[in-house]
Amino acid sequence: MAPLEPWEKVLVDNEAFSETDHGKLTCIQCHGGTNVADKEQAHTDMVLDPSSQPDVYCAECHEEQTSAYADSLHNTQAGYWTEINTRNGNVPEDHPALEEMFGNHCATCHTTCGECHVSQPANVGGGFFDGHVFEMNPPMTRSCTACHGSRVGNEFLGKNEGIPGDVHFREARMNCVKCHTGVDLHGMTEETASATHRLSGAEDPKCTDCHEDVANGADGIQMHAQHGDGAEISCQVCHSVTYTSCDSCHVEVSEKSGNPIFETQATYTTFLIGRNPLQSDDRPYKYVPVRHVPVTPNSYEFYGDDLMTNFDALPTWVYSTPHNIQLDTPQNSSCEACHGNPEIFLTADKVREEELIANETVIVKTVPGNVDMFLNAMLQPSDHSELVTNSCVSCHLEGIRNSPVMPESHIDFENDSCTGCHKLP
Amino acid sequence: MKFKFIGIFLTGMLLLTACRAATETPTTSESPTETESIPTPIPEAGECLACHTDKQQLIDTAAPVEEAESESSGVG
Repeated sequence: MAPLEPWEKVLVDNEAFSETDHGKLTCIQCHGGTNVADKEQAHTDMVLDPSSQPDVYCAECHEEQTSAYADSLHNTQAGYWTEINTRNGNVPEDHPALEEMFGNHCATCHTTCGECHVSQPANVGGGFFDGHVFEMNPPMTRSCTACHGSRVGNEFLGKNEGIPGDVHFREARMNCVKCHTGVDLHGMTEETASATHRLSGAEDPKCTDCHEDVANGADGIQMHAQHGDGAEISCQVCHSVTYTSCDSCHVEVSEKSGNPIFETQATYTTFLIGRNPLQSDDRPYKYVPVRHVPVTPNSYEFYGDDLMTNFDALPTWVYSTPHNIQLDTPQNSSCEACHGNPEIFLTADKVREEELIANETVIVKTVPGNVDMFLNAMLQPSDHSELVTNSCVSCHLEGIRNSPVMPESHIDFENDSCTGCHKLP
Repeated sequence: MKFKFIGIFLTGMLLLTACRAATETPTTSESPTETESIPTPIPEAGECLACHTDKQQLIDTAAPVEEAESESSGVG
């Protein structure tokens, strides 16, 4: 996004602004400063972004939003800290170094009310959206994708060469807030209040909030039915296409300028399906698309030695929700496009040797086989629905209670994947 | 007929009394105390707008921007 000219950033459209509720206030009521013609004197003690103190300047009218927002991810950036602390191993002695690193390189992503509702985010140069007129819905490209641009924005808007934009944008002209609503973004829902990571808790938004027929099996699409009506694989496994991954990011402070800088060594596009490292009742999928994040064991070494002693605690190929959804994709063109096709699965050979342990939870050890094997697999007896355990091997490994012993060819299969083929009648 | 007239007369008197009572009800304890409202002074901002709505003045008074060459590399 091209930065605005300096004058353009601060030019007030008073004709429009004065007609709005915020326009009923004088400049000094929010921004301080002095009502004099001299620029320096006028700007003395001026508050550039009053909304950086939402309790003081916004809460009087927007209390519901500001009180929730205090604990929301856009404000706390808790998602970063969840990952940083986990990979660090929560070593107290390391916190000063990590906090310095965070302050230099990560904290710029913190968002104030004003950076969504009246001006472009500071980390892309700032500047009013529209002459200081406040926008209830942040303008997509000047607010949301100004920050979330290099991956989500490029995918959604179709800026990756040869890859179409998301169908929700191309066909339905939907913008970000159509799915990511104000109550979510302000942290006002059960799922988003005090979240510690964007993937913690239930999915919100969830594709099936709108596409209800997929979840209840009423759409009559065989592929949906065969995959548990959307419960066995995430929607993006079939409906997203190639997306961006990055390798090896290092951060430091420039000797030359004293500014915080970073270096990312590689950016490339992939589409790879991995096992779901966050499998839960909220996210029951066995498979999800995975994206490589550029963290390495020495990404923060400028700030101290061994700041990621627990590097293997989290995968570097992470649960991903690519924002380039298509109805038809290469992998959903036929059963065989996915089944028995190791090219699109994150198998161990695609993972760097030094990252194998970290990615143990996402690496696909056995690619789902030929679809005939699934379709012809013996069904489970109907009374299995009453079993309290889903550990099939506890009986079928040795044939306890005269149960059929699993064939030797099944030995490499994951324990929890039996029901993928052997469904209940 | 005589009783009817007396009935109407008494009803009329009762209504008049009621109306009178209503108009005479206010007591000193209920009378509003006059307070002098102190309006919050709203700071003037005429000079702010005079400049910030004038494109040419903003161009003339803008601090020079130093184009800093990015030392970062790769996608952020």
